[in-house]
Amino acid sequence: MIGFVLRRVLQLVPVVLIASVGIFAMLYAVPGGPIGVIVGENATPETIAAAMREFGLDRPVAVQYLDWLRGLFRGDLGISIHSREPVFDLIMDRLPATFQLAFAATLVAMALGIPVAIASAMRPESWLDRVLSGWSALALGVPTFWLGILLILLFAVNLNWLPSASRYVPLWQDPLQALRHLILPALTLGVYVSAVLARFLRASLVSELGADYVRTARSKGLKEGQIMRQHVLRNALLPFITIVGLMMASFIGGAVITESVFTYPGLGRLLIQAINTRDYPLIQGCIVVILVIYIAINLTVDILYAYVDPRIAYS
Amino acid sequence: MKFPGRFLNTLRQLLGQKGPRLSFLFLGVVTLLAVFADLLPMDPLKQDIMRSLEGPSRDYWFGTDELGRDILSRVVYGARTSLITAAGAVTIAALIGVPIGLIGGFYGGWRDAVLMRMVDVLMALPAILFAMALIAVFGRSQGAALLAVGITGVPGFARIVRAQVLSLRKRDYVVAVEAFGGSSGYNMFRTILPNSWSPILVQIVVLSSVAILLEAALAFLGVGVPPPTPSWGEMLRTGKQYLHEAPYYAVLPGVVLTLAILSFDTIGRGLSRLIENPRDPGGGGAATEGALR
Repeated sequence: MIGFVLRRVLQLVPVVLIASVGIFAMLYAVPGGPIGVIVGENATPETIAAAMREFGLDRPVAVQYLDWLRGLFRGDLGISIHSREPVFDLIMDRLPATFQLAFAATLVAMALGIPVAIASAMRPESWLDRVLSGWSALALGVPTFWLGILLILLFAVNLNWLPSASRYVPLWQDPLQALRHLILPALTLGVYVSAVLARFLRASLVSELGADYVRTARSKGLKEGQIMRQHVLRNALLPFITIVGLMMASFIGGAVITESVFTYPGLGRLLIQAINTRDYPLIQGCIVVILVIYIAINLTVDILYAYVDPRIAYS
Repeated sequence: MKFPGRFLNTLRQLLGQKGPRLSFLFLGVVTLLAVFADLLPMDPLKQDIMRSLEGPSRDYWFGTDELGRDILSRVVYGARTSLITAAGAVTIAALIGVPIGLIGGFYGGWRDAVLMRMVDVLMALPAILFAMALIAVFGRSQGAALLAVGITGVPGFARIVRAQVLSLRKRDYVVAVEAFGGSSGYNMFRTILPNSWSPILVQIVVLSSVAILLEAALAFLGVGVPPPTPSWGEMLRTGKQYLHEAPYYAVLPGVVLTLAILSFDTIGRGLSRLIENPRDPGGGGAATEGALR
């Protein structure tokens, strides 16, 4: 098992290295290069020279890269050009909001997706199955930002039940307010994934329901509900771990759009602000952090999966 | 699937189904309007400031925006932006992705390892973030949006073609070409590629849907095609600010956008069902499962 984990981690090394070079090189690909980013377009040669020395830009590029990489491992992501604050602190301020949204959206997706999948799989090709699969297709096709707008229009503008712009309220401080501000963004983000989930789980349930052990269970006289709960769900939920994990990972990225719809102060909005103000250290920092979270979740899923399912060989 | 004989046959079968037929019809109308928009009495930039934010009427079927511009005209010209981005992005993705998949799958070894690690890196970030990072570097323009969406589509083509090559690599007819001294290039492009059309075609349709969505998403985030070029995403972004005064503003362009995406999805699903199981187009099929958001 330890060997398996080590091998998976080692496989990631080249990917992370290439990605880090790419993210570092961003600064050099920008017109004007990194120095233009720092001092602006109308700087005098003296200012440029001073800034070059101050930020160590007069050193060889390879040295600068290694220095930057060393900084990453220490949690030093540089200083924001716009606010002059450490990028790491700015990101850490926003991360709880994004995590809370991703968590709420995961709950929504499971609450919508699992019952739909079970109902469809119990009676494949029935009218209910058709209606539900139509719903999945719709949920997959509707752009999240438009769904968000429709939800705001209904629940905030017309019914006036919920706020149209969501603030971040930590769940443990004021659960009721937190929920009021979370429901719409979580629904927006969760509906799409609930459809992905429902499709995978339905396919997995249908194939399990055709298995020999289900026939045996039926011949023993077990009720369909019992078979579903005690036998089929357990087996069908295995691939589910992967989906839930990938879901969490995609939420971290997908949250960019949802956060923008609801002006929710998460990591995604920080990234958009950074792009609009051309704050490159902050852009790099956001991308690095999202990449690390994304890779970490994927890795955890892989390992968890191998741990839960003894049929997967570690070699 | 052989090109174009069996392709036409597949198309005929596809049009025999209701969902794909309606989808083709919708996309056909949108494409025609987008291509011939200049011939129609429509001006997406003409401002009628006295009549800004008016609801749908006989003069303005979809209403007017905050500058008194005709929303229907902007939706039609926005279709042009969407379709150009989708077509350009799919072309870029296929031109880069298909050779990567061919070379990786055909030669294997270090070439495969290097190419696939590069593909892994592209896939290590959600597509939307990768596109945003590229735009952050190149600045905001239609070209940047097109390039960004195109590059995020490369892994899809590369992986699908590679899988296809691996499954065809040891077939008798491929080995035979090798035995007769056919060059690797000939084998890759003239023997294997023509036999890989089906999954590539499905991928083209799937990616078109993703590209339209991604272009709209970038515009919605304010980093896509810059104004005043009409774009569906940009219209939703602005319309969102007038939800109280003019709810139709953010709703109607969204309906068209959603129908366009659903149409591509429907065609993609129908196509992959036909290709997986030509006898029974009713079952299976999961073409758009990996659609990125």
